[in-house]
Amino acid sequence: MNSLARPSVKQLLSRPVLFVSGKGGVGKTSAAQAIARAQARAGKKTLWVGFEDPTRPPGELTRKAKDLYELNCVAELAFEEYVGMKLRVPGLAHLFLRNPLVKFLAKAGPGVHELVLLGKLWYERRNYDCIVADMPSTGFGLAMFQSIENWSRLFKGGPLHKDAAEMLETFADPKECGQLIVALPEEMPLRESLELEEFLLRLFPKNSPGFLVNRLFPKLEAEAAARRISPDPDDWESPVAESIQDFALRRSLLENHNLATWRNAGIEIESLAWQQVRLESELSEFDQVVLALEKQITQRGWA
Amino acid sequence: MKSILSRRKIIITAGTGGVGKTTLSASMGIRAAMDGRKVCVITIDPAKRLATSLGMQGLGDQPTDLTEQLRQALAQQGLELPKAATFSALMPDTRSTFENFFRSLTDQEELADRMVRNPLFQIFAREFSGTNEYMALQKLSSIHESGKYDCIILDTPPSRSTLEFLDAPKLLAQLFDANLIQWLVVPANKIASAAMKKVLGLMEKLMGASFMGHMVDFVTVLFEMRTGFTDHLRRMIRLMESEDVGVMLVTGAHSDFSEELSHFRGHLEKHGIRLDGMVVNRTIGAYRDEGAEIPPASASEFRSAVELLRSLKGREERGLENLKKIVAAGGLEPRLMPELARDVHDLEDLVQIARRLD
Repeated sequence: MNSLARPSVKQLLSRPVLFVSGKGGVGKTSAAQAIARAQARAGKKTLWVGFEDPTRPPGELTRKAKDLYELNCVAELAFEEYVGMKLRVPGLAHLFLRNPLVKFLAKAGPGVHELVLLGKLWYERRNYDCIVADMPSTGFGLAMFQSIENWSRLFKGGPLHKDAAEMLETFADPKECGQLIVALPEEMPLRESLELEEFLLRLFPKNSPGFLVNRLFPKLEAEAAARRISPDPDDWESPVAESIQDFALRRSLLENHNLATWRNAGIEIESLAWQQVRLESELSEFDQVVLALEKQITQRGWA
Repeated sequence: MKSILSRRKIIITAGTGGVGKTTLSASMGIRAAMDGRKVCVITIDPAKRLATSLGMQGLGDQPTDLTEQLRQALAQQGLELPKAATFSALMPDTRSTFENFFRSLTDQEELADRMVRNPLFQIFAREFSGTNEYMALQKLSSIHESGKYDCIILDTPPSRSTLEFLDAPKLLAQLFDANLIQWLVVPANKIASAAMKKVLGLMEKLMGASFMGHMVDFVTVLFEMRTGFTDHLRRMIRLMESEDVGVMLVTGAHSDFSEELSHFRGHLEKHGIRLDGMVVNRTIGAYRDEGAEIPPASASEFRSAVELLRSLKGREERGLENLKKIVAAGGLEPRLMPELARDVHDLEDLVQIARRLD
């Protein structure tokens, strides 16, 4: 399926723009934030970009630490900014943006929304050494890439087309940009990661994505064998475990089983361990996870 | 949960991504069938393995009847399916649904052909364009109108796009109602407003002549179809707001989810859609703790793994406090379901989960 070698996580992190993709719930946001932190700590001026997070102020750019910035990228603002840049004359842009038809098209026009989100990121790359994009979960993330392809292919002429074509070129270039797919060592996410890889390769054939398996559980084969649990999950009668202890043993076996499938498919696995968080800590659970992941990333020398 | 599954005609499951919503929706359908209902589960983009395990042939326009398969799976566990019950599942082909939908809006084949050929239509019809959700709703209403089912479960994609799909009917209705569309349909030389002429000129400059050409064509065809379209939209909105429909929120126990969910609940309120409950899926807290039963001599990895899960359970309990607040106003309580030890392979596995939904 893939003739090019998959890049290692370290190689991907050396590129100026990193897209962190994956299915919802795999810990994409915490991984992306941990990567951004590790990059900043390594002395690179870094921007973490999240898209349309309803829990943050739209368009907010915050400085989190030395060399570390965070942006909540929102299509409406990105569109306004883009129009302002292209039309140059402030009054004209104002007239244009206030128009109800324009407002409608910016919201409902096919792909405009997605295009300007990536456009903002693409534009910002000149201002930072390193951009880490926390992509929305699979479907919408892919729609974003698909929309630049649509604009560069279907709608010739006009600055939007020209910019889309240039964006496509940047994102297709392994020197400029990397795709990191985060997955959990579970069956469905693994499968979906391969589908995601296939889709990205179709758009960017010369820019192979890399994989990162998150939340690896401790290995408990011996204990499971002592309790006579079959190492092959397909043998188990029910998908539901008996107790927390039973779950722990089965979880470990399931991961072994699934990762073996990946290794058999020739995929080298780089991973981050499951993080235990302390409830009594002053830090939020999310921050604790991010810090612990950052430490692992730094220890592995990826940043 | 039980009363919802035995009463509500249409249950839409919605929520954050990666929380096992598809599996849960299928299990809810099985639970309702076990109560003697005629069930149809509609699922968009399910994991292929689940579709295979349900015995489905892939994408289709008609539900696959799985009543006999379910009867057998229940028999394996010494259970019986009530006589009146039926169980079907449908994985709509959103692309063909989309095309059929447009064709149904007009008698003029030529007009429909013109629509389907437009590159903008092709984009809208694409897998990830957000039209999926709207088409799911379209499928839902046609299955509902068939009268063959008294309990339909619609498994929607994760919540952000679900919000979009709730907005879609109103957004489109706005396009027609506000007469925005006329600016694109009326030939440029007939536009009286100088400001509008200017704006259209700028738009062409920015987006390119070819985009504008396709856009005008697309909108013109849409305009021709507007009567059928708006009628359809109104019917959908009426259905969504009717007593027949309720939404079941499905989430994980993380406190990070609570903000997104309360945002979501706000949206439901705005649209006048009923909230039926909340399932907190994939929890460790749904499992009992063997506690002192672990032999003290057990390997230290085992003990630390169990500690890891216990701390996770503690986190869940904390997250749950916030989740409770979201549904408390409606007098509802979140329902805990366990994190599965392995993937679901067949109907029997789904029955195992359904049995926990009492």
